[in-house]
Amino acid sequence: MDFRFFADTLLRLSGGIPLTLLLALISCAIGAVLALCLAAMRLSKIGPLAFLAHAYVFVYRGTPLLVQIFLVYYGFGQFPLVRHSFLWPILREPFWCAIIALSMNTGAYASEIIRGGILSVPHGQVEAARACGMSRLTQFRRIVMPLAIRQALPAYGTEIILMVKATSLASVITLMEITGIAAEIISETYRVIEVFVIAGALYLAINFILTRIVQIVERWLTPYKRGRSVLPPAASVDAGEIA
Amino acid sequence: MSEAVISVRDLHKNFGSVEVLKGIFLDAHEGEVVSILGASGSGKSTMLRCINMLETPSAGEIRVSGEVIALRRGRDGSMRPADHRQVERIRSRVAMVFQNFNLWSHRTVLENVIEAPVYVQKRKRAECVEEALELLAKVGIAEKRDQYPAHLSGGQQQRAAIARALAMHPDVMLFDEPTSALDPELVGEVLRVMQGLAAEGRTMLVVTHEMGFARNVSDRVVFLHRGVIDMQGKPEDVFGAAGSQRFRKFISG
Repeated sequence: MDFRFFADTLLRLSGGIPLTLLLALISCAIGAVLALCLAAMRLSKIGPLAFLAHAYVFVYRGTPLLVQIFLVYYGFGQFPLVRHSFLWPILREPFWCAIIALSMNTGAYASEIIRGGILSVPHGQVEAARACGMSRLTQFRRIVMPLAIRQALPAYGTEIILMVKATSLASVITLMEITGIAAEIISETYRVIEVFVIAGALYLAINFILTRIVQIVERWLTPYKRGRSVLPPAASVDAGEIA
Repeated sequence: MSEAVISVRDLHKNFGSVEVLKGIFLDAHEGEVVSILGASGSGKSTMLRCINMLETPSAGEIRVSGEVIALRRGRDGSMRPADHRQVERIRSRVAMVFQNFNLWSHRTVLENVIEAPVYVQKRKRAECVEEALELLAKVGIAEKRDQYPAHLSGGQQQRAAIARALAMHPDVMLFDEPTSALDPELVGEVLRVMQGLAAEGRTMLVVTHEMGFARNVSDRVVFLHRGVIDMQGKPEDVFGAAGSQRFRKFISG
């Protein structure tokens, strides 16, 4: 075992952690906003909007993320219109290309997660909100969304983890995040196994922490799912009296 | 007689081609407790749900505290509320208690009770909390204030739902089979609370299968049969010799 090499590699790979996290964070944030819009469109009663959202999800879920990244990175530059537009300073940066591709991809998946969450809200609870005179906006803000988020959280946690791992694909468009740096070290040393094991361990560590955070948020949001007694309190009192 | 809090005129309701309500006329006066009886499918729940526009009437007029709920015909020919603000305003004065309680599962009992006063009626939170605690004491679940609905028995949940309804200071309370989802031994605690409310002189419309409640607590009994009112009157008349043949058949099961 070459501990020296391990330590050096770990140190160098750790340098990629901030970029990995930044890519995941920004694209998850943009993706969440996009997902909310898509879910709203999909659930709206306006046919063309629902169709558009449906088509978007179909295309983005049905094609590989790697292909999407290539298309954004190499594709936009093909059009003189894009090259001469004010967006070019952004679109020629691999960083922003990766952000765009990742956001649009997670937006598609997350919109389905959010839609599922909204559809799972018990009808009776929405009816109770209507019956006491809440406006549609208040119903959504106070009842539907909080319940939908609680329902969607476990699946959304998985999506965030998938995103962290998906950032590794950004290495193919020259970004030096963890996997990019790993590839660089390998091309210098040819020590594939060690380097990728360490890189994998870093992703594992990040996702371990993320899982924990999601778990904490979940516990915090759903205190009513903890320690639910099987018997109603009255029954336990009765049992006591009989004894 | 005092002014009618609820006034229903020639109410019709279709679901597709099925006509569920075929011209209902009903008044509920201030302080009156009206029990609505009928076999399942007779339209009693639908009628109740039309009063606060959870179902939109196909035709007819509904008046709450003298105010007519404005309806208009949509492009597809069905009726819909003309003014959502008006419907929301009226709903905040007409509280409803549901068969399945429908407490908000992500909020504690206390939060359930203050939700509408704070976020619909925009009253001061501290004042609402104080009042909510009194209401919870009144329905006998003061010690459950910080529990979530899932931790309560059915009877306790329904009493919390009644407290939630009372917190709105409603002009009238609608009860949609409030004890039908309860275990038999829990029915009594809910009925006792409702009896207390009746004694306070609250205006209540109660769709129920509890014959004891209809007979002993209500001021008037309405018997629905296939979307029309078959008969109505004082409980002693409806349950007594003056009762219709159909009603006798209904209560004898």
